Amino acid sequence: MTDVSAASQQLFDLWKKQLEEGAASWARSLGQNPTPTPDPLSFWKPAMEHGLQTWARIFATTPVTPDLMGQWKQFLDQSIEAWSKALSQVMSTEAYAQAMGKALEQWVTAAAPARKQTDQALEGTLQALNIPTRAQVTGLARQLMDLEERIDRLDDGISAILRRLEGGKA
Amino acid sequence: MGQERFADIADRFANGYADLAASASPETIKRWQEELERGFKRMTNLAQMVQHPVEPRTGQTPREEVYRKGKARLYRYASRRAHKTPLLFVPNLGISRPYIFDLLPGGSFIEHMTKQGFDFYLLDWGVFGPEDNELSFEDCVVKILPRAARKVLESSGAESLSVLGYCMGAPLSASFIASHPEIPVKNFINMAGPIDFSKVGLFGLWLDRRFFDVDRFIDTMGSLPADMVKAGFKLLRPTMDLSTNLNLWWNLWNDKYVEGFNALNKWANEYVAFPGEFFRQWVRDFYQGNKLYRGELVFGGRPVKLSSIQAPLFVVGAKEDYIAPPACVRALIDAVSSRDKDYVELPGGHISLIAGRGASTHCWPRVSSWLAERS
Repeated sequence: MTDVSAASQQLFDLWKKQLEEGAASWARSLGQNPTPTPDPLSFWKPAMEHGLQTWARIFATTPVTPDLMGQWKQFLDQSIEAWSKALSQVMSTEAYAQAMGKALEQWVTAAAPARKQTDQALEGTLQALNIPTRAQVTGLARQLMDLEERIDRLDDGISAILRRLEGGKA
Repeated sequence: MGQERFADIADRFANGYADLAASASPETIKRWQEELERGFKRMTNLAQMVQHPVEPRTGQTPREEVYRKGKARLYRYASRRAHKTPLLFVPNLGISRPYIFDLLPGGSFIEHMTKQGFDFYLLDWGVFGPEDNELSFEDCVVKILPRAARKVLESSGAESLSVLGYCMGAPLSASFIASHPEIPVKNFINMAGPIDFSKVGLFGLWLDRRFFDVDRFIDTMGSLPADMVKAGFKLLRPTMDLSTNLNLWWNLWNDKYVEGFNALNKWANEYVAFPGEFFRQWVRDFYQGNKLYRGELVFGGRPVKLSSIQAPLFVVGAKEDYIAPPACVRALIDAVSSRDKDYVELPGGHISLIAGRGASTHCWPRVSSWLAERS
């Protein structure tokens, strides 16, 4: 049983190493060409093919054990871990950060006018119905927080005076 | 190697098992029977989880509210108060709810600390709405933390207090201690709190000023919504959900595991938005400017110099922490002037320090014993 686990482990290690090296070269090529790939399928295809080939290789060489479920769990755990490492390598590149920043920027650019329009329309409707708008409720909450801050400052002042008085008595 | 070969190999693999079944030993058959029973139990528990989900009873350690400001609440927990110095626990603001620190009886950091006799105070920052968008990091350091610390001293009757910052709570606490020398802080603990943001890992890269314009984002959105906080953390470990669900399936026969999973899963999917100004300052001054570590912050007209911290310091890092990698947490050790200082690096990730079996055996006893000697 120990030999079987050791053999499986060796195979997993080899597979992980291959996957990591593949991901590293993938990350390098991404770094050289910072333009994001427009087709997500073609972006992931090499990795998916590589994964399939590796699974097939593992099936071919993994020794048969009575603990089928345990073996599967071990295999899936290590596969997920290897995938996680590979994805982390890609996500650690400046190209990825740049692509993500660009996507967010585009989303914000698109969201800003839509958001403004929705807010205006909603505010108009609520005012027509004589219902307080979100901005009015928020404003009220801020006034309450300002009052709370003033009370806290008074409290701080009174505490400081009391401390001084107690210090004087002592 | 293509699909055809894959099928051939899978077939050979299946035949191998058929051969094994034909010549199975009693031990093998017993193991398969056990696995079959676990399979049935898994199905029963799965049906239970789907049809009659149980709301986990988190946060059961008794407590009372001693102070509130805005959304923030300061709670004092019941304990035998064997130590003279009370402990103010400062968790992260936004991102998640603090009941993770008091998850379930037998698996609660707060329960552990109170059982060790600490007079334990938790500062719950609360759940933020649009009315809190003006709340900044500086407000927390200048307006909330000093008052919370004074309330701790007042209600406990102690002359000094210990401060424990977890995650973002550590830079918040460090900024507060460094800028308020008049508050008698006896001990300071940093658990997984980022300090040197030049070593902060993936978030540091993604939030780099070359790729992320925080001003434009906050000016448009007003805050960082909870859904975006969730997306950011999910992206950090894209396979996390997969492995969580796989582990759930594997342990689904175990009722105790399922109970813990339900509680942790509830917490892990309950994200909290960041107030706009807080997020702006957090990203600009910390992730992009690394101003805390460089000593360039000025809060409420007071300089924030880590070198002015002299209290005994204990820093705890986690080896596989992707949110606050150990190097950026450890940096506090060299930045302060404290003579009594110690650093430990424990196995696991960011959450492993505060929840789970590993935390209760590796982390909490280390923290409580270090603090007990100095309280």
